[in-house]
Amino acid sequence: MNKVITINLNGVAYQLEEGGYDALRAYLDNAVRRLEGNPDRDEIITDIEQAIADKFRAVLGAHKTVVNLKEVSDVLAEMGPVEDTTGGPAAESGAAPREQGRATGPGRAEEYAAPGARRLYRIEDGAMIAGVCNGLAAYVNLDVTIVRLAFALLTVLWGAGVVVYLVMAIIVPAARTPTEKAAASGMAATAQEFIRRAREGYYEGMRSFHDKESRRAWKRKFRQEMRGWKHGYQQQQAQYWRSWSQNWSHGWQQGCNPAPPSAPPPIVGPVFIAPLLSILLFALVVLMCWAIYSLATSHAFLGVALPASMPLWVGILLVVVAYQLVAWPIKSARYACYFPGHYRHGGPFGGLFGSLIGLFFLGFGVWYLDRHVPEFHQWLVELPGLLHRGIDVVQSWFTKTP
Amino acid sequence: MSLEEKFTAIRKGLLEFLVLKIISADKVYAADILKELNATEFATQEGTLYPLLSKMRREELVDYEWKESESGPPRKYYELTAKGRDALRETSDYWQKISGTVKNLGQK
Repeated sequence: MNKVITINLNGVAYQLEEGGYDALRAYLDNAVRRLEGNPDRDEIITDIEQAIADKFRAVLGAHKTVVNLKEVSDVLAEMGPVEDTTGGPAAESGAAPREQGRATGPGRAEEYAAPGARRLYRIEDGAMIAGVCNGLAAYVNLDVTIVRLAFALLTVLWGAGVVVYLVMAIIVPAARTPTEKAAASGMAATAQEFIRRAREGYYEGMRSFHDKESRRAWKRKFRQEMRGWKHGYQQQQAQYWRSWSQNWSHGWQQGCNPAPPSAPPPIVGPVFIAPLLSILLFALVVLMCWAIYSLATSHAFLGVALPASMPLWVGILLVVVAYQLVAWPIKSARYACYFPGHYRHGGPFGGLFGSLIGLFFLGFGVWYLDRHVPEFHQWLVELPGLLHRGIDVVQSWFTKTP
Repeated sequence: MSLEEKFTAIRKGLLEFLVLKIISADKVYAADILKELNATEFATQEGTLYPLLSKMRREELVDYEWKESESGPPRKYYELTAKGRDALRETSDYWQKISGTVKNLGQK
């Protein structure tokens, strides 16, 4: 006997075994991710859900009201992975004949099963060389750029970065299947992830219900589900089933209610702040380009000249580093404006105020230390020399090896 | 590599052309397109077809209307637009040309 979760597909409720729900959730999340940037994304997802609903209906009947895990897996294998038709990563498997798809049904079930704990993988989507930094960043939940900088610094200062990178590239496996990719960023491992997905599911449900009465029923039902997840499953399931069926039949019998549901309050602040941040970011980019250009032509920028012995490319590298450091919190803030609660650029400092405060503290910290701690000030002054020595090491290493 | 695997790229490339042909014959639901294709070597899945149909609609080659079907909610009922008919004709001509080449190459 297994737990049952009720889902909404385009306005009709289906009951899935818990494992089946996880598989379906993983499939749909994967589909949303694959279709990122596609202007018809929502419509395609709606169509996909409708097709899935049709297939579910085919296995249900008067005496069978629950879709079990195997049936869900079979349906998902039949559907095939969603690919953005500009030739996504599933290009080859998407064109495979249907017989092949059915034969690998049971095998695919493991692919779509709920992802487990966070694991270290190389992530090759969007990677610069081999995806080592990409995977490490997902594992540690930091911005990729930070990890890449760390590797670059490691290389420049001690020359070891290259070796570490190669070792990792050979040993760390690449995340290929959807399960591995999900595990690489630690999805579904924390309560926060459940809550985020619950919120998404809630809004999806709200969008696909079109009349007020079923929206109410959905909201009530969904709120109960949420509480259940936080406070323990068993008694919540029983209570949920009873009140849901009551509300559902009540709603269908009554069939009329003039009061509209309250809309979520519009978020005004980020609507104004986000464009400002974008402008600031653009200004930073312009500043960086100007700095690079000025360094390239006259080896000086705003009157601050490069130390004569420092090669040009180091100067440019420093400018890019400085830009990324300053831009990172700004980008996080801007992202947070559009997706409140979603942290893309790294943990608790990802929120709008979090990142602004972070940047403020960083600047204040540097300034304070510089003024009050003589050793820090000394170290700051020596920093160019240190980098210079590091560069010499790397250069001599390059010229030594044939 | 089996013969099927070797021709995967070709099947994928021809898919849009074939879908245009199917829709040009008759107004269809997406499920009908799948049913027709699955009887051939060009069997495909929903995950591939729906994004493709979306792209074709964005390019104004096809259009749909909501039509009630026998069971359940209304579905998208696809038909070819004028632009789609032109594209189909062009592609058909090109297909004739290259299949002619394929046929004649290697013959003395």
